[in-house]
Amino acid sequence: MTIATGKAEARRRLQPAGSSLLRKIWEHRADYAYVLPAIAVMLIVIAYPIYYTIELSFFNTPPGLQLRDKIFVGFNNYTAILTSGVFWQVTFNTLIWTIASTFFSFVLGFGAALALHRDFIGRGILRAILIIPWVISAVAASYIWKWIYHSDFGIIGAVLVELGWASRPPNFIDSVSTVLPSLIVVNIWREFPFAMIMMTAGLQTVPEQLLRAAKVDGASAWQRFWHVTFPHLRNVSTVTILLLAVANFNSFIIPWIMTGGGPSNASHIWITHIYELAFGRQRWGVASAYSVLLFIILMTLGYFYVRALSGNERKDGSA
Amino acid sequence: MSTVSATAARGQSARRLRIDGWRWGGRFFLVFMLLYTALPMIWMLLTSIKSGFAAMQFPPQWWPDQPTLASYQKLLDPQNSVGQDFLRFFWNSLIVSTATTILSVIVAVPAAYAFSRFTFPGRNFLFFAVLLRNMFPAVIFLVPLFILMRAIGLVNTHGSLVLTYLTFGLPLAIWLLKGFYDNIPVQLEQAARIDGATRFQAFVLIVMPLSTPGIIATAIYSFIGAWNEYIYAYTFLSKNEQLTLPVGIQRFFSENTTDFPGLMAASFMMSVPVVVLFLLLQRYFVRALTEGAVKH
Repeated sequence: MTIATGKAEARRRLQPAGSSLLRKIWEHRADYAYVLPAIAVMLIVIAYPIYYTIELSFFNTPPGLQLRDKIFVGFNNYTAILTSGVFWQVTFNTLIWTIASTFFSFVLGFGAALALHRDFIGRGILRAILIIPWVISAVAASYIWKWIYHSDFGIIGAVLVELGWASRPPNFIDSVSTVLPSLIVVNIWREFPFAMIMMTAGLQTVPEQLLRAAKVDGASAWQRFWHVTFPHLRNVSTVTILLLAVANFNSFIIPWIMTGGGPSNASHIWITHIYELAFGRQRWGVASAYSVLLFIILMTLGYFYVRALSGNERKDGSA
Repeated sequence: MSTVSATAARGQSARRLRIDGWRWGGRFFLVFMLLYTALPMIWMLLTSIKSGFAAMQFPPQWWPDQPTLASYQKLLDPQNSVGQDFLRFFWNSLIVSTATTILSVIVAVPAAYAFSRFTFPGRNFLFFAVLLRNMFPAVIFLVPLFILMRAIGLVNTHGSLVLTYLTFGLPLAIWLLKGFYDNIPVQLEQAARIDGATRFQAFVLIVMPLSTPGIIATAIYSFIGAWNEYIYAYTFLSKNEQLTLPVGIQRFFSENTTDFPGLMAASFMMSVPVVVLFLLLQRYFVRALTEGAVKH
């Protein structure tokens, strides 16, 4: 990356490991001052909560009891979760929600980035309009769509009736079979601009000369895309998809505001379910056990996330 | 000779046809995306200028018969209780978001600089530990953080929100800014040091100005994140006069379940500041992503 780090790297390799670590930390003591505020904030807001959640997951916390009077129950919370039917339904919903939202957000966002790559009149305005859903608050978005889906006065139902495709406005978010897809449409509406921004940024790094050379050699538009553009975007795509997947896995606001997880758990995903267990039914122990399971899943995803990010780093020789 | 050029011409026109096909496909796609994106927002605006009675009709009034700004007047009028609440929520959101933004930049800039320039032991570990924050959902931290905030006496204050929001913005901010610093040649600083500047002076006078787009992008990201945050504000604050906009609007709606024009007007006004801010500064954001996150 830079000459200075290159040298430092070389020096580091020459030095014997182990005994010199403390000395090195001492030598670099001033460097830590720069990262200290960031690390301190992170420690307070992350390390302590993680510790506390793990502890709480082994306790029973009956409603009406003070939290400090919790009762130790070992792995009971975990077995209770894994044997309950709701768990599997919620997991199934979460998988559908995460995969469908991530896939369509990425495809639509990437498509929009590609279609907007060539300059034309009004491109800037069009791009700006497409980004707006990502910027506005998820709470506002939820209410806008709740109104659009409204079972009596919703505009989609009215259009369907007007066109003669339905005899009366359908129930989008009050029916078990349609609620999840309807919410996914809202989520994609809010998420695809993020993929679009990332891929727009990525497209700008594809060298023009290579594309022109491929064109001279007679490559079709599809071939140019598949053999030149796409390989250049592999890293950006990986990072974008991972960020989308994590964000979707952790969604809360849209299902919570629009349906609260209903009807009959059909739109409950992990996070809304945990929230309801903890704050709705005061079952902190079970909710914590859920959170720990979530940790484990997310750490697995996180492993790939870090690998994708550090893969980006290693390519140019730094880090 | 002539057959060769004829086939070449035919090949070219076939290619032209195919390219046209792609181009038209792209146009149709863009029109579809424009409708998908814009129609919900247009419907929000149209509903917000209807009367409560006009909004509740079937079939709906596609275009309001008697457009009215009554909902906006109600929300912005400090004389009545709805307007008072709305303006206070707006002000609270502004304070919390601004404080978060300023602190984010102050904390993220030195950290990103250190991660980019220095090679202290544990650098990579700490860097990825910071990034990992993005992996975890807010809900997991709610209970323990609530207890923590109670312990340090921050429950029901805006401080609890600022401290929490800081950690949302930091990972991406540090990551973006580190990418920026990686791309600024060390030689620039070294030249400044040779000319007698201290390390700190070199940082403030040389590196900071060059990373302005990154800092602006970081600031926008923090501000929008804080402005739109809902779960923590919903859990940490219970006093009506402290609520931020997303929670305030939810409370408003649970009290006036059928006032859709009012709700749409509130949603619109809540969106205006962040949308305007983002549209004004979006080129910095895209540039920061290109230079910071993507290029490497």
